[in-house]
Amino acid sequence: MPVEFARIASMAAGAVQGSGSKTGLVDAFGGASGGGATGTFAEALGQLVGSVDQTAAEANKAVVGMMDKTNDVHDAMIALQRADMTLQLTVQVRNKLVSAYQDVMRMPV
Amino acid sequence: MPTLSSAITAGASALAVQRTRIEVAVSNIANAESTRGANGQPYRRRSVMLASDPVNSFDAALGGAEATGVKVAGIVEDPPVFKRRYEPGHPDADADGFVSMPNVDAPEEMVDMMGAARAYQANLAAIGMIRDLVSKALDLGK
Repeated sequence: MPVEFARIASMAAGAVQGSGSKTGLVDAFGGASGGGATGTFAEALGQLVGSVDQTAAEANKAVVGMMDKTNDVHDAMIALQRADMTLQLTVQVRNKLVSAYQDVMRMPV
Repeated sequence: MPTLSSAITAGASALAVQRTRIEVAVSNIANAESTRGANGQPYRRRSVMLASDPVNSFDAALGGAEATGVKVAGIVEDPPVFKRRYEPGHPDADADGFVSMPNVDAPEEMVDMMGAARAYQANLAAIGMIRDLVSKALDLGK
């Protein structure tokens, strides 16, 4: 994969962390107030995107292996499905995060 | 995916094993008439031995409910009991004019191959079902 998911993850985590210090969103999700990035939702999201990166790399390797005839077709397809499922999970979590953020921002004060 | 991932891994190991079974059956059929191998002897029929193989041996040792895959324990050759066919003109014929032919039975190999192919399909269906379950679970978020 040319796109480095891990880098995007760390950027996204940093962005959430940065906005969290203003809005308290991250603290609400992380449950640990005042602490660093340890155990926060942002870190969990970063881990999730990291696993997307890892499964995408494995899928890439499996497909290349299939081309080299060192790997079976089913290995490549299973690796692709794994990467797809992990990506879908990450997208769902991200959608929930964004909609929760928007709900909070729309809240009348 | 942390959950159901080990089940997919177990299914994948079964796919690889069934592919090996098909490969061995194909090589048996291909060499049904090979009177001369690398050691100068006729080809000996091969069969695959299978053994269960825990996906995560650490969890299995702790008694956890872990998916168990399968692995090829070994590919063994049958005892050298060859069929004898009278063919005096054959270069590998012995003094009496008999040629030792491999002990490969083509119908048996075909049945073995069909069984392996069906098992491959069954494992593909199982993996597909796990995939569908995961995507249904992800639909909960929508």
